[in-house]
Amino acid sequence: MFPRPFPETAIWRRRLYVVLVTGILIVWLAPLFAIILTSFRSTQDVMGGNLWGWPTQFGLVDNYTAVFTQTPMARYFLNSLTITIPSVMGVLILSTLAGFVLARYRFRGNMLVFALFVGGNFLPHQIMMIPVRDLMVRLNLYDTMAALIIFHIAFQTGFATLFMRNFIAALPGELFQAARAEGATPFQTLVHVVVPLVRPALAALAILLFTFIWNDYFWAVVLTISDTVKPVTAGLANLRGEWVSAWNLISAGTTVVALPPVAMFFLMQKHFITGLTMGAVKG
Amino acid sequence: MTSLELRQIQKNYGSYHALRGIDLSVEQGEFIVTVGPSGCGKSTLLKIIAGLETVSTGKILINGRDVTTTEPGERGIAMVFQSYALYPHMTVAENMGFGLRMAHRPKAEIDAAVLRAAKILRIADQLDKRPKQLSGGQRQRVAIGRAITRSPDVFLFDEPLSNLDAALRTQMRVELSDLHARLGATMVYVTHDQTEAMTMASRIVVLNRGSVEQVGAPLELYRNPANLFVAGFLGAPRMNFFEVTVAAVSGGAATLSAAGLSPLTVELTEAASVQVGDRVTMGIRPESISLAAEETASFAGRVRLVERLGRETILYADAGPLQCVSSESGSGNVTVQIGHASAVAADATVGFKVEPRDVYLFSSVDERTISARKSTITD
Ligand SMILES: Nc1ncnc2c1ncn2[C@@H]1O[C@H](COP(=O)(O)OP(=O)(O)OP(=O)(O)O)[C@@H](O)[C@H]1O
Ligand SMILES: [Mg+2]
Repeated sequence: MFPRPFPETAIWRRRLYVVLVTGILIVWLAPLFAIILTSFRSTQDVMGGNLWGWPTQFGLVDNYTAVFTQTPMARYFLNSLTITIPSVMGVLILSTLAGFVLARYRFRGNMLVFALFVGGNFLPHQIMMIPVRDLMVRLNLYDTMAALIIFHIAFQTGFATLFMRNFIAALPGELFQAARAEGATPFQTLVHVVVPLVRPALAALAILLFTFIWNDYFWAVVLTISDTVKPVTAGLANLRGEWVSAWNLISAGTTVVALPPVAMFFLMQKHFITGLTMGAVKG
Repeated sequence: MTSLELRQIQKNYGSYHALRGIDLSVEQGEFIVTVGPSGCGKSTLLKIIAGLETVSTGKILINGRDVTTTEPGERGIAMVFQSYALYPHMTVAENMGFGLRMAHRPKAEIDAAVLRAAKILRIADQLDKRPKQLSGGQRQRVAIGRAITRSPDVFLFDEPLSNLDAALRTQMRVELSDLHARLGATMVYVTHDQTEAMTMASRIVVLNRGSVEQVGAPLELYRNPANLFVAGFLGAPRMNFFEVTVAAVSGGAATLSAAGLSPLTVELTEAASVQVGDRVTMGIRPESISLAAEETASFAGRVRLVERLGRETILYADAGPLQCVSSESGSGNVTVQIGHASAVAADATVGFKVEPRDVYLFSSVDERTISARKSTITD
């Protein structure tokens, strides 16, 4: 059953709906609001316990400059980008390739491979903590960015392949037959037909992956120790160790850390053109 | 010169036999139209020629070259799909030049080929648009243009006009015939529209449940169907079929009798082996039945429904004991097509006359035609 709009006449149901939506929004946004609010306050206010009242003094500029000048946040930030971008690219490429083959080619074991991709998603990644750490130590990759990149790609490709396969399978089959009849190789078909048509899916997937990987804390803690490789999530935790009382700085740091996924969303938004496939077949 | 040759093509999907041994030889420049009921394997046959499906057994030759296992792009074919299958993210020009671009041909050559095809199809002013900005007819032209730019040896069309409205379909039908004349290329065209088949084909291939029922020129198939299936399939409204008994056989002709029918003597083929008392199927086309006074009529009937189409009048008549076993209306009523605006009204009881030379007979054993050949010219 899909949600249907309430009829104009059901006034009470409509009001209840608005109240509920507002309530949920407030609960949902409260932590974010608290963090942003705290990042505006001066140290004195935070120390003095003025957490919800009007700030006696705005520490906005001070706090945000301090995050970059007094802590290694800039370094963590750069690390995070260096880890996240190649990981996202890697997952997008691998999942498009795998999704294309699984969606469009019938071969022995197709369903089995697909089932493995899907099934892998149900394993909690945490159970692999010790083996993954040991593996990386043996490969001499422990405490390097490569370790994180490899594991993010490995863990996200399953879900991403499921996503891309289903999207590519939903494209009109005659487009592929037409391409084949015109002599396009599978790779040409992928590049010239599939990729342009799945751009909205790739954009959505990129945002999701970017957020997942950027926000990952678990593997960051498991696989890194040095400041030179630590991503922002692990770095923020460090911040708390060193600056126990500086909640305003931590809040400012957190806000900064939350920005890239948001920026990513706005950047990719224009690619969310739905109905790109419209006009391919009749209509 | 033989342009396309199919030898004993079979296609099985698991245990389902989609094609059961198709043999066909197409001359250079022929326009072959394949017709048949839904699910008879028309699209499968086309995909097999294109190489989009593999054969289970059999051989395909294009211009004498065995292409049975050749990739579609190297067979010298181009296919136009029912849904057009245009790439929505490319402009009309990019769509039309796609095949040549994939073959890494020089840009000047591609542009020239695209422009030439666009001019033929009168879409040269649409080249920068995207498919969704075009009307159905224009999209169809682009799809055809995409086939033309590759200058294939054989064009394959899978119901290309079925998504268009009636008026546009008529127009495109004429344009396609014209295009065929201009290009002189071999074309294989799948449709289940009779008019398309009758008007465009050099030869029609009637397909039924994965087998070829008959191949021949449109009028030849219409006048001399090889069996009951072809007779019933070609012609609208459908031929009327009746169960009758052979009352006498003499001098290569059979006299038929049935309740409500005054005896008819119909010439047989030489191969027919018919005995007195045999039950056979009699077929009469709706246009072969005319109104007559009751004393000269072959049978009489009560008019149930009248359809006045202006140019012609279609009657559905209940001929009492003379029941149609299969007809347009499917209710046992006889379909009669009168070539003018008739005054006959519903509920009238009228006489109907049939000339014996217009009567078809089909064996009830194997459904083959057993009445003598008819001339394809009727004036
Ligand atoms: N990939 C497939 N797997 C299994 N059966 C198939 C497949 N493709 C086609 N068939 C079967 O083969 C038969 C012929 O299909 P085909 O598409 O050639 O019919 P058609 O004559 O083109 O019908 P229509 O006029 O409806 O387009 C059908 O019964 C269909 O179910
Ligand atoms: Mg079909």
